[in-house]
Amino acid sequence: MSPLPAGDPPVYAARNYLNTPATGLRSWLTTLDHKRIGVMFLVATLVAFALGGVFALLIRIELLTPGPTIMDAMTYNRIFTLHGVVMIFLFMIPAIPSGFGNFLLPIMLGARDVAFPRLNLLSFYLYLAGAAIALWGMIHGGADTGWTFYTPYSTTTTTKVVPILLGAFVVGFSSILTGLNFIVTTHTLRAPGITWSKLPLFVWSIYATSVIQILATPVLGMTLLLVAIEHAFGWGIFDPARGGDPVLFQHFFWFYSHPAVYIMILPAMAVMSEVVCAFSRKNIFGYKAVAYSSLGIAFVGFFTWGHHLFTSGQSPYDAGVFGVLTMFVGIFTAIKIFNWVATLYRGSISFKTPFLYFLGFLFFLFFGGMTGVALATVSLDVHWQDTYFVVAHFHFIMVGSTIMAFLAALHYWWPKLTGRLYSERWGLVGAVLIISGFVFTFLPQFLLGNEGMPRRYFAYPARYQALNVASSAGASVLAIGFSVVLVYLLVALRHGPVAGSNPWGSRGYEWETSSPPPLENFEVVPAFERGPHEYHDLPAAAPGAGEGRHA
Amino acid sequence: MTAHAGDAAVPAPPHSHRGRYLAVWIALLLLTGLTWGLSRSHVPGFAGVAIALGIAIVKGTLVALFFMHLWDRPGPSRLVLLSSLVFVALLIGLTLLDVSTRSPLALPPDADTAPEALRRTILEEEAAGRRSPPERLPRATP
Repeated sequence: MSPLPAGDPPVYAARNYLNTPATGLRSWLTTLDHKRIGVMFLVATLVAFALGGVFALLIRIELLTPGPTIMDAMTYNRIFTLHGVVMIFLFMIPAIPSGFGNFLLPIMLGARDVAFPRLNLLSFYLYLAGAAIALWGMIHGGADTGWTFYTPYSTTTTTKVVPILLGAFVVGFSSILTGLNFIVTTHTLRAPGITWSKLPLFVWSIYATSVIQILATPVLGMTLLLVAIEHAFGWGIFDPARGGDPVLFQHFFWFYSHPAVYIMILPAMAVMSEVVCAFSRKNIFGYKAVAYSSLGIAFVGFFTWGHHLFTSGQSPYDAGVFGVLTMFVGIFTAIKIFNWVATLYRGSISFKTPFLYFLGFLFFLFFGGMTGVALATVSLDVHWQDTYFVVAHFHFIMVGSTIMAFLAALHYWWPKLTGRLYSERWGLVGAVLIISGFVFTFLPQFLLGNEGMPRRYFAYPARYQALNVASSAGASVLAIGFSVVLVYLLVALRHGPVAGSNPWGSRGYEWETSSPPPLENFEVVPAFERGPHEYHDLPAAAPGAGEGRHA
Repeated sequence: MTAHAGDAAVPAPPHSHRGRYLAVWIALLLLTGLTWGLSRSHVPGFAGVAIALGIAIVKGTLVALFFMHLWDRPGPSRLVLLSSLVFVALLIGLTLLDVSTRSPLALPPDADTAPEALRRTILEEEAAGRRSPPERLPRATP
């Protein structure tokens, strides 16, 4: 494979997946090409993200004043439920694995497509079907249970909980099929030369994510089905009034939903392992440690769900066991953070937009992770449980990290996706607005939670107002930041300079093909002799040196 | 593009195991009957659940091994089945750990009768003049 093409004039590949075999809507909707399916997932998840963001803004506007501001209590309950359901099931879980994973994984393996292309398209339509069912439930009243659907309330509420449960259930199948496809593809379709020790770290993490998707998602399906059955037929499964056990629901629900946090965060780590190498022009420090820690997180992530039940009536003995097990996740996460930082050491660092998001990611992951370790201590959790401290914690670790990674991925692989470059100057403005907006939204919520403000209330004592106003102001900055990013990326789509095949001078396998890639990914079957993160034999030119010119 | 370095170059076995499928099907029916019989025989408490779960695991394993062809596949594929069983054991094990340790630690053995006993003691102390009425506890709900 050729080394860095920094000096070559950038070329927009005339024959690419965007115009081959056709450009019409029908050719997109019936496509079996993993790249197009990935792009469709990206568009769909971004629409879901915008919808969830609107719900978030409505929540923050309502919380500007201690009393009712723009809605009543029931509407508030519905809005925060919809915010959670849309953001988790329709954006954060599928966005990176189904979007970027679909686009990149086969290319990174040197394969022409995933192992089961038809199943891949089915996965996309299942996602759309699940989203449509949930949307129907939202339009016809929505649910007021919160995204966790805790029993016995969810089995007795008169709101439209069943269609939203069913929507999440169907979306779960999409997740399973995508995970299955990625595992089989990684095992069977690697190009000559790509051994397990030469797999890009992105693939390792997506592989670990897929294992969780396959093992945990069926339990969510089973649990949601049991709730729907109890809701419809009154069976006593979780409702104590009918002889059921509501804590059993929480066990089942969190057996999926805690590992689901790693379905969100492992792909984020996947992105960052690629970005940190490309923008520090260094070989990854401790390839095997980073790769195996992904599997470690996936495995240990299954042992920790009980920390969500510390104050729910779970036995103190079980709570103690889960508290200790939870802290093991911190070990594997710390391995990754240490290795990324060690990769930066003496690297030729370039502060491009994706790298800025990497720094934001590192901050949110570390801050959110450390508050997570504190929350895993039972005696502290009793104080913080169901307060805004928990809300701020999971927004930092789960949402902040995932969004940072999603945006880093969007900017890093934008030239590969579209063949064009975005405005780096506006990129930096957007990154600063989003990172600072996120900090200002959720940092006050740590303080609110520590002072005892409970979550999921639409009214609060007046002494909490200043911090709530600060949080809502942060959310406004965040919204402006996302709007800026949306505008300059849409402009770049049509008017951006031609990127060329490898504008970052990256060593990732996906940069060896043209931008945008051809239908077959590579013109000939590639054979890779080097690893995907090897920069030691390259000159220390800054990434972006090969940036292009207008077409 | 046909050349790949993947690990699954094993050809799929021919699907001509009619006798085997029939035997497995009969075994599944017998095991279903056994589960039904178990539900009618009132095996006490945990033993009944354990036996029913054991039968369910055997049935699931038979389906995976023969109807889903794991029996004819190499080791790594069977490892998938084994690891699935580990995670099922994890889900059931840590949940049962909660249920089995919940009562003795979270609720004392006399939790149901304690409030009523306490109320009686307080009333007796009030009657004897050793306690003033404002400290009286509300009546325990049945």
